[in-house]
Amino acid sequence: MTTHEFLLSALNWNPFLMAVSVVAIFTYVQSCGWKLSGKTVFFMAGLVSLFLASASPINFLARGILFSAHMLQHLLLVLIVPPLFLLSLPTRRNGGISKGFINWGKHPLIAWFSGVGAMWFWHIPVLCDAAASSQSIHLLQTVSLLILGTLFWRPIVGPRIEERLSPLAGIPYLFTACIACSLLGIWIAFAPISVCPVFMNPTAPPEVMAMIRDQWGLTPAMDQQIGGLLMWVPACLVYLGAILVLLGRFYRRSKHIVPFRPQETEKKND
Amino acid sequence: MNETYASPPSVEIFHAKNAGEGFFSWVATVDHKRIGILYLLTAFFFFGVGGLEALVMRLQLAKPNNHLLSPDAYDQLFTMHGTTMIFLVVMPTLIGFANYFVPLMIGAKDMAFPRLNAMSYWFFPFGGLLLHFSLLAGGAPSVGWFSYAPLSETPFASSPGVDYWILALFALGIGSISTSINLIATVLALRAPGMSIRRLPLFTWMVFVNSFLLIMALPALNAAIIMLFIDRQLDAHFFMPSHGGSAILWQHFFWTFGHPEVYIMVLPAFGIISEVIPVFSRKPIFGYEFVAGSTVAIALLSFGVWAHHMFAVGLGQPMDIFFAASSMMIAVPTGVKVFNWSATLWGGSIRLTTSMLFAVAFLLQFTLGGLSGITFAVVPVDWQVTDTYYLVAHFHYVLFGGSLFGVFAGIYYWFPKMTGRLLSESVGKVHFWMTVIGFNMAFFVQHFLGLMGMTRRVYTYPDFPGWGLLNMISTVGAFILGLSVLVLVWNIVVSLRRGVLAGDNPWNAWTLEWAASSPPAEHNFDQLPPLHGRRPLWDLAHPENPDEPGAIQEEPEGKKYNKNKVGMMCFIASEAFFFIMLLIAYIFYNFSQHPNTGSEWLDPLKTGVFTFCLLASSFTYWRAEKKLESGNYNGFLVWLAATLVLGGVFLTGQGMEYFELFQKGLRAGTNLFSASFFMVTGLHGLHVLIGLIGLLIVLAMALAGDFKNGKIEAVKTIGLYWHFVDVVWIAVFTTIYLVGVRT
Repeated sequence: MTTHEFLLSALNWNPFLMAVSVVAIFTYVQSCGWKLSGKTVFFMAGLVSLFLASASPINFLARGILFSAHMLQHLLLVLIVPPLFLLSLPTRRNGGISKGFINWGKHPLIAWFSGVGAMWFWHIPVLCDAAASSQSIHLLQTVSLLILGTLFWRPIVGPRIEERLSPLAGIPYLFTACIACSLLGIWIAFAPISVCPVFMNPTAPPEVMAMIRDQWGLTPAMDQQIGGLLMWVPACLVYLGAILVLLGRFYRRSKHIVPFRPQETEKKND
Repeated sequence: MNETYASPPSVEIFHAKNAGEGFFSWVATVDHKRIGILYLLTAFFFFGVGGLEALVMRLQLAKPNNHLLSPDAYDQLFTMHGTTMIFLVVMPTLIGFANYFVPLMIGAKDMAFPRLNAMSYWFFPFGGLLLHFSLLAGGAPSVGWFSYAPLSETPFASSPGVDYWILALFALGIGSISTSINLIATVLALRAPGMSIRRLPLFTWMVFVNSFLLIMALPALNAAIIMLFIDRQLDAHFFMPSHGGSAILWQHFFWTFGHPEVYIMVLPAFGIISEVIPVFSRKPIFGYEFVAGSTVAIALLSFGVWAHHMFAVGLGQPMDIFFAASSMMIAVPTGVKVFNWSATLWGGSIRLTTSMLFAVAFLLQFTLGGLSGITFAVVPVDWQVTDTYYLVAHFHYVLFGGSLFGVFAGIYYWFPKMTGRLLSESVGKVHFWMTVIGFNMAFFVQHFLGLMGMTRRVYTYPDFPGWGLLNMISTVGAFILGLSVLVLVWNIVVSLRRGVLAGDNPWNAWTLEWAASSPPAEHNFDQLPPLHGRRPLWDLAHPENPDEPGAIQEEPEGKKYNKNKVGMMCFIASEAFFFIMLLIAYIFYNFSQHPNTGSEWLDPLKTGVFTFCLLASSFTYWRAEKKLESGNYNGFLVWLAATLVLGGVFLTGQGMEYFELFQKGLRAGTNLFSASFFMVTGLHGLHVLIGLIGLLIVLAMALAGDFKNGKIEAVKTIGLYWHFVDVVWIAVFTTIYLVGVRT
């Protein structure tokens, strides 16, 4: 089995997912009056990422075959899909900060623990195994990652401007999340034991395993190391990117800065 | 233009007592300007020491098969040269500039904590002395500036050199961390009205970002050297593979610190360049936001790339690929800066003063060093050239051609502000050209030597074709470089006496330090100019064409920052990183498949009771604060005493546990469990003890009635620390007693 054949065979044209996406696209475009904007791009990118995570060969491999594919899926669902969808929503500035029990999730501390907890909780060996081997737990995992990811990203890119953290508070928020996530990544990358034992003896068709072991040259140990590194390095780059976005916002808020005009150098004035 | 603002009130009432002249006024000073000068002078002294060490090494390498030095003497020299130049020259010089100019640039009277500042400084000569005392105590360290284990362990380095190296670095680390905390608190809490964070001069901004880098990176070094010290003094085996330890862990820990350290040594130099280039191009910096933002990107990325120092270790292909990619990524924000500086020069009316010459040379040489740095990110190239002279050339281009050229630019730029007199431009140009020629002669040829296979840290080399000639060129260059330093000294000495009087603003610069007199008065400013933009003195001189037309005096965000709280939070962040490193070590040594005996003797239940006491003490302290806030002074005293008792009970419990383990024969050196257990719990216990001392001070102050006037900041600040110590214990208890115990 070549990689090409595998990629084609592992696509998952789940009719339910297709139907939901068509409805979602229709509703989204309908609600913004058929006008395309930057937000539409975010929406489409979010949808593509969601497909990549749950309907592509990544999903097939994540179900107990490759730990690194599982990690890729995990990171897409927590770090990529939720902020893209949040960015696609229309921003609102009215109403101030909503209060009440229903909004407890808006506290930055809870949001932070949701994001970091999503990383750590599902890598407890028992739970990681369960999610990789059982269809229903895997679905539960996917949904919970999306929800927790949304909670985490709301203080940064949420649609209600007032509920966003100020840029300078957002930087430590993201940086500490990056540290917490790196620590887990480092642990996974260096752990002498398997974090998710299911992936040690995958039950995939032999031709798929032959392709992974022989053509791709991935041993289970390397596979776990790549998984850890994915969480350690690229995941942190997502947080870093968000920090740079915040800095951009921070400096954009000073409206008085005018661009340098060459004809007004001091040459003339001196 | 006649609107002026009174400078903010003095931050330190003890300040005025230090006015005056004479030797002891310098010893006792808490003035940030004097401390800055002390930093610079001390660092300059060590620059001479480290430079002489380098010259002796270059003499030894001048011709093949030379026997001027014994191999061991050579090893000591390169170790001392590296350690001196990094910890006693580059870092303190940049800290010295920061000390002098950050408060001036933001319109403050002094640093946030002047006496802490003095303490930070005195740790620096103390650390330098400790390091050099090793020469009298049986030999300097000879294991390289990164002290790779197991070479640095007792069996291979039996002289006490490495021990002094550890103690020196620890002392210097305390100084650097406290300076960083001080600088962060200063920038956040003491900015003058109108000096918003968006308007910070880039030097101040980069020092500010750099301070965060320092408080987060140094704990990794501290954890590593404490472990090495336990190995050497208490016979543990953390880094001894022959006894189950891991030499690789030393490398990971060291480079977790070591790579950010590279940026710690260059970011403030970037800041100096970002001040000098605009002033002498007569243009504002091109893309302020990008220069500022890329600094943050560099700082954050620097924590995620350390493994590129370890490609030769054999970490495995996945690890190599990820770190090669992330290392190359650092080139992007650094490139952004180089483009911004170049674009600032573009179209400006450039004045090639000595300062500007150094800045331009910095730009070229640092870029060269950066480019050779990118080649190291390519793993096979790294395998080929690591630990050759190609590497030596690379980091000298970054650290000398970069950082030190930035420092020289800063010296010529700021000398008139510090002394009131200009350095001689004609002598300065001689100094500049000698430095450029000497530097490039000494180090450019080393690229070729490295590519031809000459390894570093070997005291001599065989007579291969071309090697002798290239090394001779390098040695001659090094001596020209040495002479150039004498020219600088001469320039400084002569200019101090007979230099042209500078006036307040000789360069027509725009940042606030030039609004003070030269040298500035002890209180820095009589009156501050209005702050309506990033270049207050430009706005003052050109009211018809201000940088930010229509800008009002923005209130600084600093209004809401409390310097004590900021300082304590930074300290806690630094300590948190320290404990994270220790816990990583504990997990590394104990959670593997081959655990050591000893952990089965731990009693989670008994320790759980004492844990409860410690956690309860956090509650009682919170109650004490509440009582104090509501004015119930006696209630406050009762709850405070309860806190002290509970903390004492916890420490007693820990003492009893230690006693039982000692009875069973467990010592720090018994095995990796005992070593890591005693290290983690012992250092935590030490923090509890320090917290208790802090609480006792609070109690003594309370009994003296100090908090009756409503000034309860000390109570709140110590409280933060006390809660932190408890939170650390939750992590320690969970790791060691709940997850780690074998049954």
